[in-house]
Amino acid sequence: MSITEKILCSKTHEYLLEENNEYTIGLTDYAIEQLGDIVFIELPEIGTEYKKGETFATIESVKAASEIYMPVSGKILEINEEIADSPEILNEDCYEKGWLVKIEKTGDDSELADLLEYEDYKEEIE
Amino acid sequence: MQTYLHEKHIGLKAKMVDFAGWNMPVQYSSILDEHKNVRENVGVFDVSHMGEVFVIGKDAEEYLNKIVPQDISKLSDGKAVYCQLTNYKGGIIDDLIIYKLKNTTYLIICNASRVDEDINWMALNQKGYDINLDNQSHNLSLIAVQGPKSIDLMHKLGYTADQNSFTIIESNLLNIPMYISRTGYTGEDGFELLVINEYVEYLWDKILETGKEFNIKPVGLGARDTLRLEAAMPLYGNELDETTTPVEAGLSWSIPKDKFGNCNGKKVIMEQIENGVSKKLIGLKMLDKSIARHEYEVYYQGEKVGIVTSGGVSPMLNANIAMAYVNNVKEICTGSIVQVMIRERLHDAEVVKLPFINKKNKVTRRK
Repeated sequence: MSITEKILCSKTHEYLLEENNEYTIGLTDYAIEQLGDIVFIELPEIGTEYKKGETFATIESVKAASEIYMPVSGKILEINEEIADSPEILNEDCYEKGWLVKIEKTGDDSELADLLEYEDYKEEIE
Repeated sequence: MQTYLHEKHIGLKAKMVDFAGWNMPVQYSSILDEHKNVRENVGVFDVSHMGEVFVIGKDAEEYLNKIVPQDISKLSDGKAVYCQLTNYKGGIIDDLIIYKLKNTTYLIICNASRVDEDINWMALNQKGYDINLDNQSHNLSLIAVQGPKSIDLMHKLGYTADQNSFTIIESNLLNIPMYISRTGYTGEDGFELLVINEYVEYLWDKILETGKEFNIKPVGLGARDTLRLEAAMPLYGNELDETTTPVEAGLSWSIPKDKFGNCNGKKVIMEQIENGVSKKLIGLKMLDKSIARHEYEVYYQGEKVGIVTSGGVSPMLNANIAMAYVNNVKEICTGSIVQVMIRERLHDAEVVKLPFINKKNKVTRRK
């Protein structure tokens, strides 16, 4: 099963990946493609809690800064230090190596209702 | 609107964006790669969105001296000058390059975003002058070829002239009637080729095909912006607007102080040259990985002292850079540390000399 078959995507282009009750958030390949060369990423502090829809990180491409929103409510457990040092990793691989944060999901599953499976997301944005 | 190269851009899989009403390529492959390739090899740009206005007539020189703070009489045939179209208060309506083509015929190249304002203002100032204003913006296409290998590419295309910087010639390169100028917006050696729309696709293809051996790449507006930022060239709407004078914008070098005519805004401009101005344009280098962007606030010792006009990545310096207007106080000078407010946090930046990169003797002449 490829990773895109396991993720849920928001209309603002974040993905949520659940594996063994562990939740990872990142940006979809479509988002990265649109942004172009990624040159800086500002990640949140570990332990911070965010509600669904809140800005938790900022990504800068050569062109502009863009905010990244929580696809679900959660508490930051881990941040990807490697992409903070080498943000260009996101241009190469935004799923396996280029994830942003791991969270503890704090909201209930009703928050998942407006997230789309990858295929539906692709259809939605095209 | 689309340029006559629109199909070519789509074919090259460019990412297209709206710019000043034009659907333009912002990048073909990667802004960083395109940028570096212009600095190291050669790049080709479609800048057909830019405006071209011919000023023709007996009083053309006198008229131009009225609308720009410049001494147009010093231009001989084939020479060009960078200048600003100023309003009555010395504010910048647009920045221009004026080319003297021949005798009483001049060509003005202006910003796509300002063509309408420019034309209105120029027409308003036309009274009493025996001239014609001929806006050819929609009939002409402009291609920029920029980079250290641009001269080799031009020779390969059959270019045999020997031009100095800021000159223009009529040419029949590739049997296409065109104007070739030694100007650009990248800080590199380069050329701009002006042709009627019908010839531009052929010319574009020839340049890309012949340029292969020089590692040519097409370059979009994204890298055009990062290139001009490294060279500290102003962008209308960022560094320049109708409330900013050329003196405030750090463009006094372009004004022949005691030699320009009675142009619009002369009183203000002269007064500012003599007594100084309250704001100045400075260069900033961020001391961390953050990026200052247009309109972010600048602080010095806890006080707000200015605003970022343009900011971004410098692919050549491997640092993030910005230009900003700050209060004209002597404490803020090269080497000072100021702060830029980025997402509610202050980030240190060092004041550095402009331009950020400086290529010496950039125009390559025939050996």
